[in-house]
Amino acid sequence: MTAQTLYVYAIVPADSPAPTGTGIDGAPLHTVNSAQVSAVVHTHHSGPYEGPDEDVKRWVLEHSDVIEDCWSHASSVLPVSFNVIARGSDDAGATAADQLKSWLDDAGDDLSQRLADLAGTSELRVEITLSTEEFPQHDPTVTQLTADLEEKPPGVRRLLEKRLQKVQKQVTDAAADQLYPEYRARLAAQCLQLQDYASAHRPAGTVSVLSAACLVDSAHISRLGAELTSIQEETPSAHIRFLGPWPPYSFVDIDAGVTSESRDGAA
Amino acid sequence: MQPTRDPGATLPDLLEVLLNKGVHLNLDLIISVADVPLIGVNLRATIAGIETMIEYGMMRQWDEQTRAWVQRSLTRELPMAQGEEVVAAMAASYYQDDFYRTWRPGRAYLTTKRLILHRRDPAETLWQADLDSITAAEQYTESSVGGADRARLKITLQDGSETRISALDAEHLLSLIRKQRDLPAPSSSPSDAGQAGPKISGSMWYLETFAQGGTWRGGRATLTQDGLLTWKSPMDNRASLRIEPDQLTSISAEERSNPTNHSKVLLLETTSGTVQLASPDLSHWVEALEDHPSTAKEVSRGT
Repeated sequence: MTAQTLYVYAIVPADSPAPTGTGIDGAPLHTVNSAQVSAVVHTHHSGPYEGPDEDVKRWVLEHSDVIEDCWSHASSVLPVSFNVIARGSDDAGATAADQLKSWLDDAGDDLSQRLADLAGTSELRVEITLSTEEFPQHDPTVTQLTADLEEKPPGVRRLLEKRLQKVQKQVTDAAADQLYPEYRARLAAQCLQLQDYASAHRPAGTVSVLSAACLVDSAHISRLGAELTSIQEETPSAHIRFLGPWPPYSFVDIDAGVTSESRDGAA
Repeated sequence: MQPTRDPGATLPDLLEVLLNKGVHLNLDLIISVADVPLIGVNLRATIAGIETMIEYGMMRQWDEQTRAWVQRSLTRELPMAQGEEVVAAMAASYYQDDFYRTWRPGRAYLTTKRLILHRRDPAETLWQADLDSITAAEQYTESSVGGADRARLKITLQDGSETRISALDAEHLLSLIRKQRDLPAPSSSPSDAGQAGPKISGSMWYLETFAQGGTWRGGRATLTQDGLLTWKSPMDNRASLRIEPDQLTSISAEERSNPTNHSKVLLLETTSGTVQLASPDLSHWVEALEDHPSTAKEVSRGT
């Protein structure tokens, strides 16, 4: 790898205030500027960050601190993910800064459009899960099986318990299929965009109804909170996690063109 | 309800987001899919998304350039014949029945010429057959080691040999194999009687309502024999639309802007509001929906 590279944290509009804090391991921050957008970077002297998990966690958090800082000072921010490094090109005789600047120039229209779209927004994450033990406790099949269990000898009990668990899981999963469209529609009405994700940590004995990253107008976060409160009141056995607000991490992807958008379909 | 930023509760989530999301750039690798520049490392995330689209056999709707790019990236380890194209690909396993009897995991690729079970790393083609040599393809249900019911496929070849495979969405793979091969659905199988295949299933756009208005989203709609209509985007975890036959009060078609070449969209009045759908195949859907006895009497046909 050529000597000097640039580690990139975020893209911000060109007229944004200079970054205040420091980056990973206290690295001083500066920007690479094009006409429309700037990249917040530090001068890097080695390859990607690698090391024990604990170190990676610390680096990732320091990375996210820079993004948070940009988010609170600039009008909008496109977070860049961890370990994105621009390097120079020996063939073209270009430095890392040259390369990065030419990308910012080329992609300037797309990037500033996306920055404008995301201005004033926040990402929140909503995870709604049901406990397979609590949720279906009033289901007739479950009640029957639970009652049957009481009088059985231990060996038979174990078999029946297995069956009970399977039925509980099926009943809860079917309920989740029913609840998902309703919850999704109610949350979508309070969001600019919604994106399902596969939850990384799903505790045993639970069924996920909905795990979604929500792009919300920062001024209207409380509306999403209110909707979740009413969902919680209607279904007390639902477990709701409501995380954020964060910079719009999940919504910076430049559309791959596989879905097209239109404002209200009415002509 | 107030959102929490407490690092103790959110750290794993934040780490996951930061490692998987965000604008990624790698100046060595700026590629273009559908004329929109995608940047560098992002390729990995994008491929994951595209593979999901492929699992749903949605590739045919893409333009030439996108398809060519996807074909190249998909088939890097999988030599294709002239003019052969991947139609669908999904996680699958192949039941090896020689020295060891075991399920071997990989991916199933349905091309315009073959059905292939391939493992990427280390690269090995576990099984393959020319579509021409397939005489029958059937779905059956088997309990897996864990006790869950799994849908599997039994493929019979001209030489009489039978192969068993499992796939992420066996039912969908089967329908694509049949479509590709022009195989008839099995005439009658007692286990199928209760849960016969869907009445109609295909690509569909659904107008989802957000705070700022509606957004057309691509996905797949299915109408079961019992009249349950569902729509699911390959990007979502569950079906976003679920209309039981008794919730559907009227069906009409109206001229509205939509992402298909057709000028009309399908308006479904339901007990919980109006749903707008768009399909290149609208008339078939209208027929299938009107055909259902519980709604037939109330149908008002739009102009």
